[in-house]
Amino acid sequence: MESNKKYWKGLEELKATPEFVENNKGEFAESLPIEELLSEAGLKTPTPRRDFLKAMGFGLGAVTLAACQKAPVHKSIPYLIKPEEVTPGVANYYVSSYKGYGVLVKTREGRPIKLEGNPACILGEGRLDAVAQASILDLYDFSKLKDPMLDGKEVSWNNIDSFVKGELNKIQAGGKKIRIVSSTVNSPSTNKVIADFVAKYPNARHIQVDAVSYTGILKANEASFGKAVLPHYHFDRADVIVSFGADFLGTWISPLEFNRQYVVNRSLASLKNKKMSRHIQFEAGMSLTGTNADVRIALKPSEEGIALLNLYAALGGGGSAPKLSNAKAATALSLVAKELLAAKGRALVVSGSNDIATQSIVNSINTLLGSYGTTIDIVNPSYQYLGNDADFIGLVAEMGRGEVDALFFLDSNPAYSSVASKQFTEGLSKVKLKVSFADRLDETAALCNVVAPVPHYLETWGDANAVAGYYTIVQPTINPVHNTRQAEQSLLLWSDNAIKNYYQYVKNNWETTILTGAGLTWKQLLQTGVVNAGAVTGAPVAGASAPTAVNAGNAGQSILAAAAALAKGGESATELTIYESVAIRDGSFANNAWLQELPDPVSKVTWDNYVALNPKYADKLGVTEFDLVKVEADNYSVVLPVLYQPGQAIGTASIAVGYGRTKAGKAGDEVGKNAYPFLKLENGSLQKAVSVKITPAGGKRELAQTQTHHSYEGRNIIRETTFNKYVQDPHSGSGSHGAEHPTYDLWPEHKQIGHSWVMAIDLNACTGCGACVVACNVENNIPVVGRDEVIRRREMHWIRIDRYYSFQDEKGTSLTEEDQIGELAESDNTLEDVTVVNQPMLCQHCDHAPCETVCPVIATMHSSDGLNHMAYNRCVGTRYCANNCPYKVRRFNWFNYWNDSRFDNYMNNEFTQLVLNPDVTTRSRGVMEKCTMCIQRIQGGKLQAKIEKRPLRDLEIQTACQQTCPTNAIIFGDRFDPNSAVSKALGNERTYYVLQELNVQPGIGYQTKVRNTVEAQA
Amino acid sequence: MRSISLFFRSVAKSLFLVSSLSISIQAYSQSSSDANATAVQSTSGSAIAEPAAATAAAGDAGAGGAIFKQKCTSCHAIDRQVVGPALKGVTERRDNAWLIKWIKNSQALIAAGDPVAVKLFNEYNKAVMTPFPELSDEDINNILAYVDSEANKPAEAAGAAAGTEGAAAGAEKEGVSDWILGGLVVLVLVALFIILVLNRVIKTLERLLLQKQGVEVEEVESESTAIRFRRLAKNKKFVGFAVLLLVIFLGSLGWKTMWNTGIHQGYQPEQPIKYSHQLHAGTLKIDCQYCHFGAYKSKNASIPSLNVCMNCHNYVTASDKYNGETSPEITKIYKALDYDPQSKTYGDDPKPIQWIRIHNLPDLAYFNHSQHVKVAGIKCQECHGPIQTMAEVYQYAPLTMKWCINCHKTRDVNYKGNAYYDKIIAVHNQLKKGAQVTPAVLGGIECGKCHY
Repeated sequence: MESNKKYWKGLEELKATPEFVENNKGEFAESLPIEELLSEAGLKTPTPRRDFLKAMGFGLGAVTLAACQKAPVHKSIPYLIKPEEVTPGVANYYVSSYKGYGVLVKTREGRPIKLEGNPACILGEGRLDAVAQASILDLYDFSKLKDPMLDGKEVSWNNIDSFVKGELNKIQAGGKKIRIVSSTVNSPSTNKVIADFVAKYPNARHIQVDAVSYTGILKANEASFGKAVLPHYHFDRADVIVSFGADFLGTWISPLEFNRQYVVNRSLASLKNKKMSRHIQFEAGMSLTGTNADVRIALKPSEEGIALLNLYAALGGGGSAPKLSNAKAATALSLVAKELLAAKGRALVVSGSNDIATQSIVNSINTLLGSYGTTIDIVNPSYQYLGNDADFIGLVAEMGRGEVDALFFLDSNPAYSSVASKQFTEGLSKVKLKVSFADRLDETAALCNVVAPVPHYLETWGDANAVAGYYTIVQPTINPVHNTRQAEQSLLLWSDNAIKNYYQYVKNNWETTILTGAGLTWKQLLQTGVVNAGAVTGAPVAGASAPTAVNAGNAGQSILAAAAALAKGGESATELTIYESVAIRDGSFANNAWLQELPDPVSKVTWDNYVALNPKYADKLGVTEFDLVKVEADNYSVVLPVLYQPGQAIGTASIAVGYGRTKAGKAGDEVGKNAYPFLKLENGSLQKAVSVKITPAGGKRELAQTQTHHSYEGRNIIRETTFNKYVQDPHSGSGSHGAEHPTYDLWPEHKQIGHSWVMAIDLNACTGCGACVVACNVENNIPVVGRDEVIRRREMHWIRIDRYYSFQDEKGTSLTEEDQIGELAESDNTLEDVTVVNQPMLCQHCDHAPCETVCPVIATMHSSDGLNHMAYNRCVGTRYCANNCPYKVRRFNWFNYWNDSRFDNYMNNEFTQLVLNPDVTTRSRGVMEKCTMCIQRIQGGKLQAKIEKRPLRDLEIQTACQQTCPTNAIIFGDRFDPNSAVSKALGNERTYYVLQELNVQPGIGYQTKVRNTVEAQA
Repeated sequence: MRSISLFFRSVAKSLFLVSSLSISIQAYSQSSSDANATAVQSTSGSAIAEPAAATAAAGDAGAGGAIFKQKCTSCHAIDRQVVGPALKGVTERRDNAWLIKWIKNSQALIAAGDPVAVKLFNEYNKAVMTPFPELSDEDINNILAYVDSEANKPAEAAGAAAGTEGAAAGAEKEGVSDWILGGLVVLVLVALFIILVLNRVIKTLERLLLQKQGVEVEEVESESTAIRFRRLAKNKKFVGFAVLLLVIFLGSLGWKTMWNTGIHQGYQPEQPIKYSHQLHAGTLKIDCQYCHFGAYKSKNASIPSLNVCMNCHNYVTASDKYNGETSPEITKIYKALDYDPQSKTYGDDPKPIQWIRIHNLPDLAYFNHSQHVKVAGIKCQECHGPIQTMAEVYQYAPLTMKWCINCHKTRDVNYKGNAYYDKIIAVHNQLKKGAQVTPAVLGGIECGKCHY
């Protein structure tokens, strides 16, 4: 143990509060009512013995009767005419795409049950993020509309069609405006349909608005390069990455792609070549990206723009910038400027701001650094977000003036997500024809007179063009379950298009444009799913002139004015940043129980949003954790609980959008509060930072946090080193120096023949995004337990990502001695400077598993291929195994979660149960469960090899977590194959085994976290 | 005690008597039914032979019949339209030369513009008749002779006669077996009665003999049964013995019942269609895989969808057994598919057939057919029993975990020639050279291999 660095999962653990210590001792979060039971209805009643005998007698009788019943008759209903490609029991995979990411849809007997990345996809390269993984649950969402609706009544499509067409013709004749409001549409076919519609009704216009907008970058690029587009970033080509509040690993633009790129220079292979990128993050709230940064500087939003101006000046861009009040950030900035200049052409600066002026400065900085053409591709831009805030505000004004007679809402819910939802709702009452293409009666659809429900994307045809030159197809994998119709189909019918069938329309469109260029046929496309026409090369800064000092100067003035406005509240006001949470994003997936229960990567909170405050700052405001506080802006206020967030800048607060839905469905309604109305339209775009006042509102609301559940009692779990030390000694920080840990045995050795399944997890590659958690949920039928049960520490996730904080001192060096930490924690340290390590934790499949030796019924036992098996039907639920597990990875089923009315928001209906994986049992109440290393995949893979009479190939069998991991941090395989990827990974010098001193001989090896810190540079 | 031994003696005697009697009766009845059957065969044989002899002049109807069954029956029948027209009277409708040309290559005839051929072609929805250039003129003449002979045969009468005759024979057979059973029961009863009477007689005679010899006999008979029973009840040894017997009996009964709870060996539900594996797999020798296509590649062996049935039952209607009507069981297929056999069109109201599942493995156990059938090379019959003899399928194996495990512990792994196993077997040989390689040795009885 060469490091004494102390890691902690929550402040209560750091400070070892009496409640925390007490809670950790107990097996249950709440004490069991044993005493009550004994004192009241139990032993003191007059005839407990006779009652007992009665109960026993009844029980025996009931069991006997139950056993006597004849076998239930099971029907077996084959296909009438079996589709040729379907073999019952064998999965088929179809290509499709989700928001431009290529996916493979696994279907069993005609129903989609799992999504995996399409390896041909240039964005995801076969990986998917948590949101995409979870999107399959929405297909089986019980809250969706089953029929079209006209004026609140269910009607037929014919009624809808005649009504809408009649109204449209009247409106067209009357000369009033027709508007189609949508979130970003980058589908070539949809755009063409809309263009055809506009051609038929010339009064119509298409307005794109995104709930979480990127207007700032779009407008800045329009000013700088003449193109209102998002550039295509290449984090893999950057050696120095500086981010100002951009959570590019969590939510910013294309997080899946950025995760994949980001790790290219931080992976096992890269470290072997002694190469590691450097990442410096300036931000107010602690984001997922911030947790991964080598250096993270807490910075108020009002200073972010100023910091960028300073950086611009330091890079030689000229202009004058006021000095930063934050001294630490100022020194860091000057160092960062040097590093950036040294890495010209291999550097990248990004900002999460939606302010046009700020993004203009970022553009200027990147021009100075020569990033265009290297780390930023503006010639082949991204079309993932195209919404323009000002357009929508303009529309609301038009509606208010009564100029608009028809509105169509396509994948858009402004009544919930718009900043001007109040004016919007008022304006909407003046519109004659309001058509919503929502899949459920959401906040906007409830206000519309026509609801034309659309099917889930897995039931539809479509396409996407996420990045220039890259096209993906969306093909249906199931017939529409409900009486729904694609929005495009409706628009084709309503505009009397020559082609009435959208499938035919998409096919024609592809065959005339994209496919001819790519030399593919339609059938080939339906197999590959993607067409990559390749990046066009051109001048890095095409067309327009490079940002000049003059417009940078203008931008500077605008930034300074905004910063002054934001900070004008002074000490009494708080700067609030509005952000997207990694799981719920903009709120359109709010009814997805998997995402609601996915712990936030940083705060580990489920089923809620909250006001994140620095503990020291909360003290100053006079509030403690879970206190309800009122957050007040100019014209909007919410009451939310406080969350202590180490790393949050003093004087700032953060609230996530996407919560507070009222008409999402059983899972998503009334979860948290809506934060969209805090956004503020200024200088042509929505500003995410506003000045608010925070006051105690009285009362408390406990948040359902998954940490600090499952305590390790302060044992040494995390091994960490710096890049500098790693270069000198690859073993550094792993605590092993290559020596094998001594092992000893009480039992005769169990010889393994065949395979030995093990796993390697690279802590340096893991960004903590949570994709693995959701993938595991989908693959293994893991139940969702809901907020109350999470508070009782009963979450069921087989894989969790533990997030550990540790301190940095003022100089940015990590504190290693416990007494130093103690001093800091006690003194007036601001708790702004914390570093974070994410560690995926799942069953370690120990060779000497402590759980196995304590099971009284031998329900858990070791297999000959190194796995720790769990036989659910043998388990009687003593939970001894969970108590004896040093890793705390065993989960107990307190209820029949998938079939219990108390868990109505999850799977308590036959429709949603269709998403269950038929190869994995649903566990019943009273049994223990845990990670099986996806044994169904192992058995399936082995069988395939046996059928084909060939040896098993490496990486042929992938666990669900490994398969989806965007950063390839998880490698699973056979230890007995010396050439397997996992053998090589485990042979790495950085490998260590968690708690290997207990001699449990875990099967999962971790690779140390490496941080490329400042001292490493010095 | 003596009475008990007497009783045993009498029971043994009666059993011997009854069994010898029944065996002799069975032997007689069997021989007589065999004789019946041969008689039926010989008569029907001669019935067929007669008309065949009558038409032998034009061609050999026997040889033609063989070819007809092999090549023609998939599309033609004698007296009813299948895919092609009914062939009854075809030799009168068309001349012989035209028929030979048409059968050898109908398309050529149509292409040549033969008006009859073109008309016929259009009449039958331009369905192309398979050309048979391999048939010689003689073959065709034989076929036509067969067609004529079949058509000219007093078809209805002969068919009906054969049918009733067969049915009668069947009924007779069944009747015999029923009579045997009934007779046996009667015989046993009669024998028991005789034994009782004889016993009485013997006892009376014995007593008379003893009386004659001057021995005074106790009047045992005067004791009522109640008194005897009471005395027996006081006999501790007897009571103990009886109680022991009862306990053993009830115990074993209870044990067996409980042990077999949830085991449905022999389960034979009535299926919506009386599909006979005996006929299809046994007599017709259709490969299991033809219908249960999943067994070789999936965990499910799969129940075939109806389009598989229709591959044959498009024209196989078993009408010869039902007076020219389609078999009622096959009609169920048509009904399910909403298929009209006359117009050969499918309607739009199909209803799936709801078979009753026979082999119900619990959900907690994962079983994969392809692993066992394809990889291990196990015959279907090893688990499903003599399926080719089952007119109605029943559950043959107990499907208990013990049954699984026993097999996994004793069978050899089919690893020869399977490269997947090469490395594993090499390691195994290093550890235990020569030991049997069972699935259990390779981890095949570990919990997680089937329960996940």
